[in-house]
Amino acid sequence: MSEQKYDPSKGYVALLGWSLNAVEAADKFDRRYVVVAPDWAEAYCKEHDIPYVPWNFERLNDRSFEIAQTLKDMGVNVAIPLFEETVEWAGAINSVLMDKPRLFGQAMLLRDKALMKRRAQLGGIRVGIFEEAHDKDDVIRFLKRVNQTLLKLDGDPNDPIHLKAFDKAGCLGHRVIRTPDEVDTIPDEEFPVLMESHLDGWEFAVEAWIHNGKIRFLNISEYVTLGYSVFVPATPDLEKYRPQITAEIEKLIKTFDIDFGFVHPEYFVTSDGTMYFGEVAYRPPGFKVFELLERAYGFNAYQGLILAFDPKTTDEEIEAFFPEEVVGAKGYAGCFGVYPRLRVVSRLEVPEETENHEYFESHELTPPLEATVTKRTAFGTHWGLVYFFGDDPYRMRDLLKHQEDLDFYV
Amino acid sequence: MNDRQPGSAVPAVNMDALAERLDHSIESLEQSRPFARAGKLPRVFDIARRILQQPGGCEIVEARAQRLEQAGVFVGTDWADPAILLPSLTTFSLQSQSADTVVVEAISELRLLAVARGTYFHPSVSAEQAHHYLTQVLAINLGLLFGMTGEAEREQGKLALIGQAVVQYVAQQIGYEHVIESLIEEIWRILQQRPIQVADVRRMITQIAMCRADPNADLGGAGGGADRLISSLYGPTRACSEDPGVVVYEQRLASMDAQALQNEATGFARSMHDTGLVSPYHAAFVRFILEDRDTLLSEALGLSSTGRDCLLCYRELVHALITDGIFPETAQGLYGLALMLERGILYQPPVAPALWRQVRLPLCAEARERLQLAYGYQPQPGAWLLQGVLNMLGQPLGVGQGNNPTCQSARALSMWAYNDPDYLLQMVAWAARDNEIMMHFEGQPVSSLSSLGGVASEVTLDLDPVSLIVVPHLDRIYAEMGRLCAGREGDPHRWVNPEFHGWSAGRGFAINVDVATGKLDDLPGFVRHFYASYHPYYNGNQPLIHPQPAGIAVTDSAARFIGWHAITILRVALDPENAMRVYFFNPNNDSGQNWGDGVRVSTAGHGERFGESSLPFEQFTSRLYIFHFDPLERGEPADVSEEELARVLDGVHRTWGADRLPSDGLQAEPSPQG
Repeated sequence: MSEQKYDPSKGYVALLGWSLNAVEAADKFDRRYVVVAPDWAEAYCKEHDIPYVPWNFERLNDRSFEIAQTLKDMGVNVAIPLFEETVEWAGAINSVLMDKPRLFGQAMLLRDKALMKRRAQLGGIRVGIFEEAHDKDDVIRFLKRVNQTLLKLDGDPNDPIHLKAFDKAGCLGHRVIRTPDEVDTIPDEEFPVLMESHLDGWEFAVEAWIHNGKIRFLNISEYVTLGYSVFVPATPDLEKYRPQITAEIEKLIKTFDIDFGFVHPEYFVTSDGTMYFGEVAYRPPGFKVFELLERAYGFNAYQGLILAFDPKTTDEEIEAFFPEEVVGAKGYAGCFGVYPRLRVVSRLEVPEETENHEYFESHELTPPLEATVTKRTAFGTHWGLVYFFGDDPYRMRDLLKHQEDLDFYV
Repeated sequence: MNDRQPGSAVPAVNMDALAERLDHSIESLEQSRPFARAGKLPRVFDIARRILQQPGGCEIVEARAQRLEQAGVFVGTDWADPAILLPSLTTFSLQSQSADTVVVEAISELRLLAVARGTYFHPSVSAEQAHHYLTQVLAINLGLLFGMTGEAEREQGKLALIGQAVVQYVAQQIGYEHVIESLIEEIWRILQQRPIQVADVRRMITQIAMCRADPNADLGGAGGGADRLISSLYGPTRACSEDPGVVVYEQRLASMDAQALQNEATGFARSMHDTGLVSPYHAAFVRFILEDRDTLLSEALGLSSTGRDCLLCYRELVHALITDGIFPETAQGLYGLALMLERGILYQPPVAPALWRQVRLPLCAEARERLQLAYGYQPQPGAWLLQGVLNMLGQPLGVGQGNNPTCQSARALSMWAYNDPDYLLQMVAWAARDNEIMMHFEGQPVSSLSSLGGVASEVTLDLDPVSLIVVPHLDRIYAEMGRLCAGREGDPHRWVNPEFHGWSAGRGFAINVDVATGKLDDLPGFVRHFYASYHPYYNGNQPLIHPQPAGIAVTDSAARFIGWHAITILRVALDPENAMRVYFFNPNNDSGQNWGDGVRVSTAGHGERFGESSLPFEQFTSRLYIFHFDPLERGEPADVSEEELARVLDGVHRTWGADRLPSDGLQAEPSPQG
């Protein structure tokens, strides 16, 4: 049952997509909200009296204007995308709600990884070498050219290249290709893809809440191993780049003309301190980083999201909401995505050393449904997350790294 | 790869930190919106699990039991209403392979412990109730209590620690003596019903015996009361009191004088009639005396003058039955034999010849296979079946349906054994020898072979030998008769019951539920009619002649409707306290059930014979939904007093009939509940 008491003088927000944590955060917050989600969510929303409008996000069509008009008639001030797939919907809807047509163009830019990189490049942001591939031959050509550029001789081990889907979140469809033979393993239906050169740097992500064109809170998420583990706040080793990172984000805001909301970009920093832009998303990050932030700092990141999107939010209000970066944290919160390491597994058994570690918090792993583990081709989906919390960032980093050597499924 | 120092084991667990994490997770559960609560539960359960796996964990969780319950860990589950929890289910949940199930059960047990100790004042369960429940839980989980782990615990892995820790912690807090005592009480309660299948009881007694023999299990002086139970299986007489093994015992018999043998015979008989359990030594003894001292047989079976008379008349038959049917493995048949002789049914002309047929009956391959699957290869299948026949004829009310939805078939077997023994023997012969039973439905032959399928998709093996062979056939015939009624208006039992059970089942049929709508239909008329047909004060003091099939709406201990169930009404009579009671047979394995709303089925202490269940007439009527009567004897609806009628109707309306009130019934007779 929704027990919400909202403040009528504040904005009315629409959450695009179904996320229980986001709904609960909104329900406990002082902004009026409505959930816009596919009709499978209807029964649940009805049962629990959650404000709800049914909508199928699968494709943009000529009825798209309808949802914008419905929300406008309801008095909604802004739409907030919760998932990659709802980013362009938010752009389209907000362009109607706020009467700013450029918001839709901006959203399309943020949804396409190739367009995004071009735009970044035009804005003077440093990016790696990249190109679109339409078939396997394109991939082989790119792999050869990248390695020629690096002055590799025949027989030298190649530097890898990365392949990513244009419009998928995070690691979905992400592959690493080292040799032309590996190109054959890519199924034809994955094309077209974006190809990037490999940057030998330290990859990290940023979460930035933006309001009135200004950064209101900037978090740096340290990846221990991409696709496996992340923790917040980062180690002092990475936090020392904070001024440079802030400058990069300001450049990003300017280039993409972002006035409000939330961005989640990824960067590489090379050994000489140069920042390379990877990609940027206009929605909450995966890997439960919002939950980690709440654990570390105590503020609810979804409520921060609502504040950053709501046009009626005041500067004082948003400044009071966010704690001071890094020093405001009570500790370090991290999580590890588990992939089974054995080919055949029969049950879930959290390693004793993990379970008894003082940093260990909880896990979301479920018992295996099938005994045989599908071979991972791309960076697949993990089987669940394991959460840690502690007071030493270096211990946290080493602990997360060590989990990669353990079997959770035996 | 491994950064652990050699010698330093798993890092020590900081219990304070874990307890703090538990508090943190409970807090987030308390603060969550009801619609998001499910998402917070896994963390609570996981941390609780880790705490429970550590020494001292139970205390930490017990201290937080009230907060956990109030935060909503049980909401939406049966655990939310502790008054209806069944102790017998805890075995399955504590030994479950699902961590959450084990943890919820453990939290629930610890919560009830807090209630029993008075530290948690619970709105729906009292300290005494909680204490009583926990003693039963302990009794049922003796294996966990004394660390006797089996296959289930091996499959569970580390989770098994939780079940053991919780049971042991609870036992320490409320005392071991309660456990053994209540287990012994439980065994006696079941034995008082004299079931044919005693495998479970034997297992429980064996478990107590093992606990007593294990020097590591501290029984705290309890369990003295188990002596009689243990000795009835493992040493009922002087010459076998130390459980020497059958071979040694047979050697001792060979060197005994007449007086010693006489003592053995009386010892065995006393033990058998006392408990209803037969020791394998008893079988060895009977086979031994059969050779040239069969004068002791009457003594060894503990027969009265009726039984002895019968034995003398049919001496050869009894010898054959023992020689072919009684072995140490099938010793239980001796009890059936003794009671069968006491019933005097051998004097019915067809019974003795039918038993001769049974002794020599060749079994079909299917029957042999089923018997061997259930009972093993020693002795041969025919002996097991013979034992089963003796037990069924001796204990017709000891039939149980096992874990099968075949109450009608079990009821029919019991009814025939009680009322029509030679017919039962005919059924057994057809099923065991020919693998086919043929009955007729309104003149049309119905064969168990050509029927499509039974009510039960598969009949399990936890049955007595006769049921094991006959029930699959009966079940198919019963289902086929039901199919032949398809398309007829009303409840098919109207036609099926008399055709299936035999001519003595009344052709008249009364039902108080409208089949089409599921609503109650003329309940007052139904009740008056039942009184007129069955209640001696209203039917001219006519005792019931033939046992009659009837249908019961079974309710659980919270008085919620569970399902329709077949029983047999055996007699209606005054109990020792001069209250009118219905005595009936329930094919369920344990008839001592709590049907809620104050209705507790009694199995002993109210004039019940072995195997009978009983309820005061009014209470019984409040759960009845079908009965049969002789249409030619139908009298006027009984002039039942308004108060008595109202009590019965209220009993229906408060329980299984609560949501079955016909829409116009509300105006005609406003229920007192409003």
